[in-house]
Amino acid sequence: MSTLAPPRSGHSRPPRTDPERRPRRGTRRLARREAGFGFLMISPAVLFVAVFTLAPMVASVALSFFSWDVITPPRFVGLDNFERIVGDDAVVSSFGTTLLLAFGIVVVQLVVGLGLAVLVNQRRRPAAKTFFRTTFYLPLLASTAAVSIFMGYMFDMKFGVINYYLNAVGLPSVPWLTSTWGAIVTIILIAAWQQVGFTFVMFVAALTSLPTDVLEAAAIDGAGPVRTLFGVKIPLISPTILFAAVVAMINALQLFDQPFIMTKGGPGTATTTATIVMYQTGFQNLQFGYASAIATVLLVIILAITGLQFLAARKWAFYR
Amino acid sequence: MTHIIGAGMDRRALLKLGGAGIAALGLGPLSACSGSGSGSDTIKMLYFGQQSAATALQKKLQPQVTKLDKAMKLEVTGINGTDWNDFLAKVLTQIASGSAPDLVSVATEGLQLMASKELLVPLDSYVTKDLDSLQSYFDDIHPALVESMMYEGHLYELPDSFNAGSMFYSTDLLKKAGLEAPAESWTMDDFHTYATKIAATGPKVYAFDWVVRLWGSWTSFLYANGGNLLEEGKYTGGDWLWKSAYKNNPAAAAGRGGGWKWGQPTANSAAAVEALDYLIDLQRSNLSPSPDVGGGGTLQGLFSSGRIGMTIGGGFWAGGLHNAGMKDGSFDVQRFPTWKSNKSLFGAGGYGIFNSSEKKDLAWEIVKMMVQPESFDIMFPGNVTTPGRKSLMTAERYASTGPANWSVFYDQLDGSVPISAPPYYNALATSLNQRTTKAISSGNAKAALDGMQADFEKAVKGV
Repeated sequence: MSTLAPPRSGHSRPPRTDPERRPRRGTRRLARREAGFGFLMISPAVLFVAVFTLAPMVASVALSFFSWDVITPPRFVGLDNFERIVGDDAVVSSFGTTLLLAFGIVVVQLVVGLGLAVLVNQRRRPAAKTFFRTTFYLPLLASTAAVSIFMGYMFDMKFGVINYYLNAVGLPSVPWLTSTWGAIVTIILIAAWQQVGFTFVMFVAALTSLPTDVLEAAAIDGAGPVRTLFGVKIPLISPTILFAAVVAMINALQLFDQPFIMTKGGPGTATTTATIVMYQTGFQNLQFGYASAIATVLLVIILAITGLQFLAARKWAFYR
Repeated sequence: MTHIIGAGMDRRALLKLGGAGIAALGLGPLSACSGSGSGSDTIKMLYFGQQSAATALQKKLQPQVTKLDKAMKLEVTGINGTDWNDFLAKVLTQIASGSAPDLVSVATEGLQLMASKELLVPLDSYVTKDLDSLQSYFDDIHPALVESMMYEGHLYELPDSFNAGSMFYSTDLLKKAGLEAPAESWTMDDFHTYATKIAATGPKVYAFDWVVRLWGSWTSFLYANGGNLLEEGKYTGGDWLWKSAYKNNPAAAAGRGGGWKWGQPTANSAAAVEALDYLIDLQRSNLSPSPDVGGGGTLQGLFSSGRIGMTIGGGFWAGGLHNAGMKDGSFDVQRFPTWKSNKSLFGAGGYGIFNSSEKKDLAWEIVKMMVQPESFDIMFPGNVTTPGRKSLMTAERYASTGPANWSVFYDQLDGSVPISAPPYYNALATSLNQRTTKAISSGNAKAALDGMQADFEKAVKGV
């Protein structure tokens, strides 16, 4: 007998699912009361999101059709700001830089986060697991600005402690923040290092909750640790990987603090992200309409990439 | 619970209301800038610095404000920033939020920007009205500082402080290198000799360091090389001031106009390429480290710990180095070395009155009060800037902080030019930072300056 077959007994009947049959008035009233209470409970959160997320977003999109310098009243310019973006090398280049940095950060974050999670998950003692979970999560709690200032000193070419130790073992100084690729790689590493605790904790949770019967079956079939990892564990936690990738990518596409503080977007424009250009355009050059148009394009890019991630995940994310 | 939203309001109506609310919230900021300065009994002032210093200043100035108006309360808000560019961005953000102050600290960097946007009130009529009481001020301040606060013939601030780009040096490192203090007439060749000898004193010592920014950056070398980032010119007008306030000193007022008029960009001129190439060469030959962008915090730490031999500084470095633990005598200053010219740069500071202020007359009284000699040390305790009034430049002022050659700060104003800060200053500063770091990174000054020139040309057109 199939285990999926519905249970049967002599004195029970399957529940009525007739769509034509409406619940009684009292039941409807109760359902409405419960729904109302539910709305009341979530209303502070909804209000918060509406005021601090949706409203600025709507305002920004609306403002992208205006020319506004703070001082004089906004002037409607239609799609001029968007046309200008197409011909503005600095803005187009900043989108490219943003994508490059975001891709690098997400890849490092996922690979390192997963690697650390697998290693920590193999620890048997709970105290060790707790220690590593806390340690790897700590950078996420630190102020990004403080971390960036600190790292700026660490990675200083002439006076930084990183180059000091490289020199101590006979290696030459590396222009971490003053060469194009040095700055890009350093920003990626630092941003990924600070965020890796997020993916790490999620992967640890997912690995911990894997069904033991599947792992035992793999072991009985003779799968080694590597085969088990790539053939069983990773496919089983693929929904978690998808979620982590989506959230990490959304965060990384909005990268601002690290390059702004550590390199001021330099050298040249090597680490000038779209958010830095938005800041410079709006708050330094007083072109708030144009800055809003850049923000709107960035929003569309984020939505498109997120959509693509979900589409691509159909081929590799495995839902049990 | 069922009717919590209200009788008669269905889901569709609720959504419409919500949508309208969100739209109203979202578009609200569009008219935010129309907000007025402050309440009727408070006069708001924005101060460049920490809030603790702003609060201390507020406490010290309040009694004097009370003398002017018993009911008036002064509120000083500190705004932190790495440099004036950063400060200005935050001020503009505050204005955008609808909270314009009555008085704002504005340096040369932001003067033309704010004046061109008509954010500040021209002080012409106030100065003319109160010239008698202000005569001692004009007799005491270098006209170059006053001229730097003019725009299109109008005066927008009474400068209270300035900083001219001079060359600071570590006396310890000079001694180690077997060098005497540089003479006032020293040249770029002398500077290079000094740099080479100082660098030879130790592997962890750099002869010279600098900061990527408009004031006192490679721009000091550019000015000394006879160039500038923009064509230098003067606005017409200003006679109303020079012929009255400086009638006792016509020689000092000779050639003054209605403020500096910054013309077409000259960022990739031969003088500019040569100056920036020189700084790149200093780094290549290990005489200079990679410069930081923005504030000079790292530079100050390195200089005070004896790892930097020379750097560009103004009077503010006297207090800065003293606060960083350097003793009087451990550093000194000389005017910037002469290259093709002895032109140097300076930036001045003061307070402007906001056009939106409802208490302009009282604000003017406070501005006058702040340029009185006794106010300077209240405003700027500890030699953190150079006094605009020459009578305040005394040996006693620098007795505890140094430097010994403090008279250079004021003397250097003769023949100096303010930093080139046109109304599009922010775009200029952004490009200057980006293109300079690119030049340092790539080693190609010409290509970077061609890019800077193109950026400036776009900024001039307002693109």
